Amino acid sequence: MMSPSSTLAHSAATRAEQIAQFLRNYYIYFVLAAVVVVLSLANLDRFDLFERGNFLYERNIINILRVSAPLLTLAGAFTLLMVSGYIDLSVGSTMGLSAVVYALLAINGVPFLAAFGITMVVGAGLGAFNGLLVVRFKITPVIATLITLSFYKGLALLLVQDGVSAIKSGGGLKMPEWFNSYGREGVLLGLPMSFWIAVAVTVVLVIAQNRSLLGKYAAATGGNPTAAKLSGINTGKIVFLLYGIVGVSAALAGIARSSFMSLGDPLSGDGMELNAILVVLIGGTAFSGGEGRVLRSFIGALIIMALTIGMLTIVPAYFQTLVIGAALLTAAASNHLISRKESAS
Amino acid sequence: MTSQQYSPVLSVEGLTKDYPGVRAVDDVSFSIENSTIHCLIGENGAGKSTLIKMLTGALQPTSGTMKVNGSVYEPNNPHEAREYGIATLFQELHVVDELTVLENLTLGMEQSRFGFLIKSDLDDRVIQTLASIEPSIDPSARVSSLSVAQKQIIEIARAASSGANVIIMDEPTAALSEREVDRLFGVIRRLQETKDTVVYISHKLDEILQLGDVVTVLRDGKHIATKLLSQVAGRSELIEMMIGRNVFQDYTPRTTVTDESVLTVSGLSSKLLKDVSFHINKGEIVGFYGLVGAGKTEIARALFGADKVSGSILFKGQEVGHSPRQAIAAGIALVPEERRTQGLFTNLTIRENIPVMNLHRLSDKGIFRSSDAEAAAIDYVDKLSIATDSIEKHTEKLSGGNQQKVVLAKCLFSQAELLLLDEPTRGVDVGAKTEIYDIIRNLADEGNSVAIFSTELEEVLGICDRIFLLYSGSLESEVINGPDVDATQILNVVTGGHEGVVQ
Amino acid sequence: MSTPTQANRALSRSHRMSDQTCINLLVASVAVLLFLVASLLVPNFFQWLNLLNLITNNWAVISLGVGVTFLLVSGNFDLSVGGIVALSGVLAVWFAQSTGGANELASGFGLPYWLAMLCALAGALTIGGLNALFVVRFRIPSIIVTLGTMMLARGIAQVVTQGSQRNTNLPADFGLLGNMTLFGTSVKLPVVLMAILLVIAVFIERKMVFGRLTYWIGANPVAARLSGIDKDRHVTYLYLFSACVAGIVGILLSSEFKSGYSNRGMLMEFDALVIALLGGVAIAGGFGSVVGMFFGALILAVVTSAATGLILSPDWQFILKAIAVFLAIMTQTWALARRNR
Repeated sequence: MMSPSSTLAHSAATRAEQIAQFLRNYYIYFVLAAVVVVLSLANLDRFDLFERGNFLYERNIINILRVSAPLLTLAGAFTLLMVSGYIDLSVGSTMGLSAVVYALLAINGVPFLAAFGITMVVGAGLGAFNGLLVVRFKITPVIATLITLSFYKGLALLLVQDGVSAIKSGGGLKMPEWFNSYGREGVLLGLPMSFWIAVAVTVVLVIAQNRSLLGKYAAATGGNPTAAKLSGINTGKIVFLLYGIVGVSAALAGIARSSFMSLGDPLSGDGMELNAILVVLIGGTAFSGGEGRVLRSFIGALIIMALTIGMLTIVPAYFQTLVIGAALLTAAASNHLISRKESAS
Repeated sequence: MTSQQYSPVLSVEGLTKDYPGVRAVDDVSFSIENSTIHCLIGENGAGKSTLIKMLTGALQPTSGTMKVNGSVYEPNNPHEAREYGIATLFQELHVVDELTVLENLTLGMEQSRFGFLIKSDLDDRVIQTLASIEPSIDPSARVSSLSVAQKQIIEIARAASSGANVIIMDEPTAALSEREVDRLFGVIRRLQETKDTVVYISHKLDEILQLGDVVTVLRDGKHIATKLLSQVAGRSELIEMMIGRNVFQDYTPRTTVTDESVLTVSGLSSKLLKDVSFHINKGEIVGFYGLVGAGKTEIARALFGADKVSGSILFKGQEVGHSPRQAIAAGIALVPEERRTQGLFTNLTIRENIPVMNLHRLSDKGIFRSSDAEAAAIDYVDKLSIATDSIEKHTEKLSGGNQQKVVLAKCLFSQAELLLLDEPTRGVDVGAKTEIYDIIRNLADEGNSVAIFSTELEEVLGICDRIFLLYSGSLESEVINGPDVDATQILNVVTGGHEGVVQ
Repeated sequence: MSTPTQANRALSRSHRMSDQTCINLLVASVAVLLFLVASLLVPNFFQWLNLLNLITNNWAVISLGVGVTFLLVSGNFDLSVGGIVALSGVLAVWFAQSTGGANELASGFGLPYWLAMLCALAGALTIGGLNALFVVRFRIPSIIVTLGTMMLARGIAQVVTQGSQRNTNLPADFGLLGNMTLFGTSVKLPVVLMAILLVIAVFIERKMVFGRLTYWIGANPVAARLSGIDKDRHVTYLYLFSACVAGIVGILLSSEFKSGYSNRGMLMEFDALVIALLGGVAIAGGFGSVVGMFFGALILAVVTSAATGLILSPDWQFILKAIAVFLAIMTQTWALARRNR
């Protein structure tokens, strides 16, 4: 028994709907292009950060991408967590604590791979602890991760001895030579390892989102937790894993940051959670869960970093908080207004 | 996963379910044959949903046995029922909007290696199952772009392709349009062709007559009959079996009903409601009777201003329907359908629940007169016989009947002149039921008007002066209650039949 | 309404204290207990003056805690208060600074002090209004909105002070309010105002319809609507109230230090949240009291000052706060569950 064609057509029926769908999927590339165009038109050579005027000048792009490495590393995992309907406000402190651990290990003679590996494990543990609080103790994610935000920051501050603000060369210990090559030295196309690791992580997460059980189950958990559980999905395990992955990404971000700055600063991740929220909002991730793409968040991170750095050269640094706050509110409002999910009353 | 072609695929013997004080299912025995569309009908409270819950493992029977394909079947939960091949479709959709059709169909059953999805014949199988029952749905489409009816079909396909060969559907057409109902029937027939069995629960007798092979009738928890539909004479026979001859009626005509109209409603229309118009008089108790999906809650909420609909609602000459706040100020109060989630503040005490609808009465330039609130609470506990040793008891600890009384007290405190009661005695024990009916009668005797929205025929016949019959969103007819009210005809109308025509 | 009979009177004279009182007592006991423990461990801790100082030194956070508590009870967050503190202080200074100063940071609008305060308060209320708009009208989760407005407020303060502070060219009476003391005692005006605010808050909570409404909305927003409560309007009032309190705090602080500093109030919103949680205010809404919050503040103050007294570095406060909140949440969940089994 065949059914009438028009009303039962597959996916977006009308032309208008198709255009809307296209816009929703690709708007971010337009935004990125627009940002690049605007910044390249600006005359930037008055400012220190840029060597020559044009934004598109190679060295400037390299600088921007080097500095962006932490946020780029974090964006993907944070997105997947939000897709599952959960949030992690402690990423900044995880980053700071990982930075300190990494620097401590390095300055005490631990070789690169070992220090790298250990720090990643620490990050996983910190993330897993978040998962424990949320899944096992059933503390609401906002409060649970605010608790760990404070706790991890405290741990990081304690690891740095009094009187010093960060782990760095001095007092008889010297930071090894290899320390900042990870975050500074160009290995491919002039870009450092930290950037390429960020790219690699993003690629892995994009594949995971599209092709793995974790990606699919994350969307199910965020989209309709009841349906997910009824299908036999262990939503607690999924969420726990996602928190762990966020922890590892935050640790990688911390390594990138401390390598770039050549020191382990416990406060180096402060405000990262706000950047991450901004990034995922721009990338079209919904707070209620189910919606969100890793790749779009990556682009969103590029946009944010380009704007931030570009802005730093145009206006004094003290405008930054205001702009981020305004951007956050604007992004939240537009995100919500074009959100697909209708909220129940 | 094919089962042996045992016949019958599902059977129950002596199945009984007892609750404290009531026997919901009483010694029921019948069997369901393989590859049939087996319909289950019965009035509200007949025991249909309890029976189904036992079949799907959500409840454990008090006694009796169940068998699947000849072997004993005792599921402890719906998961286990699934393993035996028995799947249930509920009214709430369990699909993930953000995933595609194919992803939903394979959810939880995917093949994977090291956590990565690999293409397997599962994909082909589910696509084929979907195509066989509804070829027009594109497997790569996002579920969010589908209509409710299509999502329902996805769930059916999922059940079918997950190896379930008995699919139970509970009032599946409640939210569907006529065309979508036709399509669903097509799907069900195709399921039958693939050797699946469908258990179809509905009160829409026309559908049963059109679609079903076999029908089982329950009444008051007992099994009345299981017959081939080809051997059923028509609606009247079904209705007779559903209600029997002994409709208990306790109605005595009331003397305080007036002719003065207080509520005039015209042209109420929404997604479900179709041009509903009626009026309610002062001192009257009216009933809105219909079965699932008839629109009774929608009407109640529209009158209260909880939902926006088109049409006009005039209460004592004043236009209402904009918001609950306005309704309460005008003198209308609603006892909502779900008392725990909509009617009560369960983590608060009785005393704290009662004043909320009429704060003006207790507000002294903004100061809350808590002693007056306390006195009111004590008063209502007494007047409504709420069983509690203290007004400081948290309402979540009260029994269903007492909780309902607290909600009633809330409304009474608002000094409303029109009370809308949505399922006032659902989940309430017999003793409390009678007490609530007395309260309602007293209210009306004092000159207030009461509208009862219910799916229990006995209830509306017991106390309502006039009864509006609802079916599928429209007000089909009006019945004046009295000794010669025709329960058969009433049931005919609310199951889709037309007045005067009982085939 | 019939007069209650003897039996009915027994109904109301419940021998059981309410849950709220129970939690308040619990928190108060913990506060006292910790104070005693600290007194054993830290030399010179056990003094009346010390106890008093613990409260008076935290007058700002406690005041902010009032607004935060009310909003939590209604089921919403307000993390913008710290930013509003900075903003209103900076605005007060900026508006009061005389025109034509030596440089940009030394010139203001030259308004009379009382007018400058009013304008600063208006600025604070604008932020509160933004909160209400985004949370109530656009229905965006309050955690995101108030984080955004916090940054917005602080951001404006930073721009106005160019990242540092404005502290020159102020009228002579600018420092009056923040440093005024009472009748020869050393109790400063802000502390008195905090005390008054607390009393008013408790009164509103217990005795006023406005307070009761907050609980109903937080306990069950759906039932609240169906009971005729205008949730949107009420939550708007709450955000405006919280912003107003934060604004006054900021003005008083700028008066006390005779400067508008863009970093003032940094992290105060989190401390306010912490003391509310320590005080037993439920995250889900519908339960909690400013009394509990007050004792929660006391707990936090005892812990942090004892830590300082034990020569622990100030960095320990982050860990201590985290553990304290965690323990508080676990304890309260457990306590209430046991009680109402």
